[in-house]
Amino acid sequence: MEKKTIDTMVGTLDKRMNRQLKQYLDICARCAICKDSCHQYVATGDLKYLPARRAELIREIYRKYFTKAGEFVPALYEARDPDETLMDELYESAYACTGCRRCMYFCPFSIDNAWVVAAAKGMLIAAGRGNEMLGQLADAALFKADNMDMFDEIIVGGFADVEKELEEETGRPIAIPVDKQGADILYVALAGSHSIKPAAIIFDAAGASWTLSKFEAANYGFFFGDPAKAKLIADRFMNEAKRLGVKEVVITECGHAYRVAEMFYEAWAKEKMPFTVRHILEVIDDYIKDGRIKVDPKAIKERVTYHDPCQIGRNGGIYEQPRDIVTAIAPDFADMTPNRQEQWCCGGGGGIVAMEEFNKVRLASGAKKVEQIKATGAKLLACPCENCRLQIEELSKVHDLGLRIVPVMELVAEALVPKAEHTAVS
Amino acid sequence: MDWFSYLTSGIGVYLALAVFTGGMAWRAWQWSRTPKSPVRLALYPKPKTGAGRVGKLLVDTFAAPQSFKIAPVIMVAAVLFHVAALAAFVGHLRLVHEFTPLVAVLGEDGMNTFAAWSGGAAGIIMLAAVLYWLGRRTFGTFKNLSVPEDYLLLALLLGIVLMGDHLRFVGGLHAATYQAWFASLMAFNPSFPAELANSTTRLALDWHMLFVDAFLIYFPFSKLTHAIGAFATNLVRSSE
Repeated sequence: MEKKTIDTMVGTLDKRMNRQLKQYLDICARCAICKDSCHQYVATGDLKYLPARRAELIREIYRKYFTKAGEFVPALYEARDPDETLMDELYESAYACTGCRRCMYFCPFSIDNAWVVAAAKGMLIAAGRGNEMLGQLADAALFKADNMDMFDEIIVGGFADVEKELEEETGRPIAIPVDKQGADILYVALAGSHSIKPAAIIFDAAGASWTLSKFEAANYGFFFGDPAKAKLIADRFMNEAKRLGVKEVVITECGHAYRVAEMFYEAWAKEKMPFTVRHILEVIDDYIKDGRIKVDPKAIKERVTYHDPCQIGRNGGIYEQPRDIVTAIAPDFADMTPNRQEQWCCGGGGGIVAMEEFNKVRLASGAKKVEQIKATGAKLLACPCENCRLQIEELSKVHDLGLRIVPVMELVAEALVPKAEHTAVS
Repeated sequence: MDWFSYLTSGIGVYLALAVFTGGMAWRAWQWSRTPKSPVRLALYPKPKTGAGRVGKLLVDTFAAPQSFKIAPVIMVAAVLFHVAALAAFVGHLRLVHEFTPLVAVLGEDGMNTFAAWSGGAAGIIMLAAVLYWLGRRTFGTFKNLSVPEDYLLLALLLGIVLMGDHLRFVGGLHAATYQAWFASLMAFNPSFPAELANSTTRLALDWHMLFVDAFLIYFPFSKLTHAIGAFATNLVRSSE
C-alpha cells in the first residue's frame, strides 16, 4: 500500500482519537467474552465478525503509529502497516457491523467496539475504500438539501397526495401541515407515506400543533462512517426546526435517526439546540397516558410481540413506552427473551440492508431473532425501526414465519377510538 | 548477594517499581490529556444519580454480572485469579511488616499455618487459572485472536506463580527470613540473610523476582493497563 494512503489513514485515526477510543484500544484483553454477544459471530463462527477481532485490526495500526512500545517492538503486538489483506478484512468486518453494541453490554471493560468500528470506517473512507452504496445514498441526501428549489414543489405535492389518501382511508380530512411557523412539533418522517399517515392520524386525534419536515430522518452519512456528512444530513431538519421555531423535533420510528438526532447532533454541531428531541413513541405514550387520545384496549385480538431496536433500546433508553403502548391496545402481549438491554440485534442495522454484498451474513445473523420470535408464538410483531422491519420481513419469508410486521404507531392508528366515542370506551 | 541475586532481588526491584509506577502514571496522564469523546456513549438503562453511577461502576468493574451471564467459565477463572492475586499481594505485605493484630489472635504458629494455607491456596488457584488461559489461547478457537503479547504476559505470570509455589511448598524457609531481605530492600541496602544466601531456595527466589521484575516493567506497556483503564471505560457506560 502506498505510503501516502497509509499516512492519510493514520491521520484520520489521529483526528478521530479521543480518550474513550484510546482506552478501548489500549486495554482490551482479547478475552473474547464478546464472542457470544455478537449475532454475526454466533451465526457464522467467522473470526472477522468477532467484536474484539474487528477492533484488533485497528489496534494493529494504532500500536504501530500511536504507541512507543508498538513502534519499537512491533512483533510483540503484531503492530503493522495496513496492507490489502488487512483492508479487505477491515472493510468486511466494519461495514458488516450493525453497531448494536451488544458486545459493549457484555464486555467486562465495557469496550465499545462499535466506536472503534466507526473510526475504522473513517479510515476506510480516507483510503478510498468506503462503501460505495452508502456513500452514494449520503450524497443523494445532501444533493437534495443543496437543491431544495428543485425538489420543493415535488415534495409538497407529494404531501398533498398523502392528505388525499388519508381522507379516502379515514373518511375525514386530515391535514399534513408543512412549513408551519411556530408549531409545537416538527415531525421528521422517512421517505414514503407509511411513516407519515399513522403519525398524522395520531397528531390529528391528539389535537397536536405539528408540522411535517420536508426532509427524511434516515442518515446514510452515519452508516457510511462520515460524521461530517452525517451532520450535514441532520442539519437539514435541525435548521428547519430552528427556522420554524418549534418546541420539539419528533423523530419517526427509525432507530439510527433517533440516535443521531438525540445523542450525536448537539456534539457535532457544538451548540445547544433550542428544542428537545423525542422519539414518536415517547410522544404517543404521553398522549395515551394524558388522555389526549383514546385507544381500544382490545383492538388487537391476536398475540403481539415487540422487537427492541438496538438504537432506541440499548443505545437510546426507550424500553417501556413502546411496551406500554402495545399493552394498551393488545391484551395478549408476549415479550421476547432476552429483551430490553440484552435483546438480540435482528441483524439489519448499521445500513447493512442497503449493502447487497452482505446479504448472506445478514440473513444468517438473524437466526437468534428468528428463534426469539418463534418462542413467543406471536404472528404479529410491533417493530419501531425501518431497518429492523426490512430485515425481519425478509427473515420471515426465508424462515416461513408468517409474520405481520407493523410499526407501533400504525397499530395505534388502527386502535384509535374516535372522539365521539371517548366516553363510551372510558 | 551474587550478581544475579543483586540484579533480580536487589536493584531490579527498585527498577521494576520505578518503571511500573512511572509508567502507569504516564499512561493515566496520556489518557487524561486526550479530549473526551464529544458524543454520548452510554448504554441504557443507566443510573440517574452520581452515586448510582459510582455504584454501577463498582459493580461492573468488580463483579461484571453481565459478563458472568454470558461467559461464566472464563469469568470464574478471572475472578478467582484476581482474588487469589490480591490475597497473595496482601500476604506479601507480611514481609514488610508482621500482621501483629492477626498474630495476637492466632498466635505465631497459628499465623504461620494460616499463611501456609491461604498462600498455598492462592498459589494453586493462580496456577490453575494461568494454565487455563494458556490452554484456551493455545488450543482454542481464539488462537488466531491472540498476539505474542498475550503469551508473554502468561509466560511471565506462569514463571511468577511456579517459582512462588516452589517457595511456598518446597522452599522450607519461614517468613522471618524473607522479612530480613525485605528490610534490607527498604533500607536501600539489599542483601540476603545468611540462611537465605546459603540455601538452594535462593535461586528459586531470584527467578521468582526476575519474573516479577519483568512483569512489573512490562505492565504499563501492555493490555494490563485495564487495571486502571477499566474504571474509566466502565464509567462511560453510564455517562451523562
